[in-house]
Amino acid sequence: MDFAAFLKTLESTSLAGWIRDSLYAFPFIESFHVIGLTLVFGTIAIVDLRLLGIASTYRPFTRVAEILKWTWAAFGLTILTGSLMFITNASVYFSNVQFRWKILLIALSGLNMVVFELTSGRNVRRWDNDRSAPPLGKLAAVLSIALWITVIFLGRWVGFTTTGKSAAPTPDIEINLDDLFK
Amino acid sequence: MMNEFAEWLATTSVSLTIQSHLWIIPAVQSIHILCIGMVIASVFMIDLRIFGWAGRDQTLLETSRRYAPWLWGALVVLLLTGILMVVGEPVRELMSLSFWLKMSLIVVGIFIATLFQLSVRRNGRDWEAAAASRWTTKSLAVVTFLIWCSIIVLGRLIAYDHVWGSWSLRPLV
Repeated sequence: MDFAAFLKTLESTSLAGWIRDSLYAFPFIESFHVIGLTLVFGTIAIVDLRLLGIASTYRPFTRVAEILKWTWAAFGLTILTGSLMFITNASVYFSNVQFRWKILLIALSGLNMVVFELTSGRNVRRWDNDRSAPPLGKLAAVLSIALWITVIFLGRWVGFTTTGKSAAPTPDIEINLDDLFK
Repeated sequence: MMNEFAEWLATTSVSLTIQSHLWIIPAVQSIHILCIGMVIASVFMIDLRIFGWAGRDQTLLETSRRYAPWLWGALVVLLLTGILMVVGEPVRELMSLSFWLKMSLIVVGIFIATLFQLSVRRNGRDWEAAAASRWTTKSLAVVTFLIWCSIIVLGRLIAYDHVWGSWSLRPLV
């Protein structure tokens, strides 16, 4: 089965059909997507600003970074709701340029996090109480903030470039011929 | 009345400028979302501290002082970007039940945040011993978080006002 066929299979699942046909499902799934992504962005920014020495500088970095377990929970919600939106119109989203960039940048911010853990994160004990992280840590923070801001812009852009082609829930409007000629 | 105002607003030159540059609305919405992130994360951090689930190395007063400037700063940008969206798409915004429900909840959310901050500032130390553990404080923390989540949901529902059925200000058909 090629990938295009796989995308079509996703679209034809009963779950995708239910979300498309429902007047309520997509709007509420999208709303929870926004709750998840705003929490992801906000809590990550708190950690990044600590790395840069802009905020929470009087707290050890490792203490501030404890919030990241909540970030992961919020990220889980965002991925779940994002996937549910994706399957309603998988081939359109997949062929959307902004969507592709968005996924790429999310992957890059994951990579950025891994690189941070392998570099500055390794000797965190040495700078935990410093006002800001070493240069590589600061670079990771700048990249992280820049990537997530761009991801959010791209996400909004996806919404504006797919709706025309989308199978987004359009309500069935029953036309009553009697009313039409009144 | 509101409809006439919205339609008049749509004919103003500022509105026409926004309408004719298709990138403005998505860009303003994105900035709006970034600021919502600052607000919801600030509320979340203070609430986690009240429950003692995060930031226990800080007092509630310190936690409140850490996030209050970001909360209020972001709210100012939210107001400005919000005004731009209303001016750019007056009928879509003003003629939706979601918009007005959202505005009402924002008033409640800001009222609670103000009361909370005044109270923490006034009773600084006592909060640690008594207030932070009181069940009323914890319920208020949960309610506040749910209010801000509802504000986010209602904000998104402006685009889907039909979910309110016949209650919507611009019902289908």
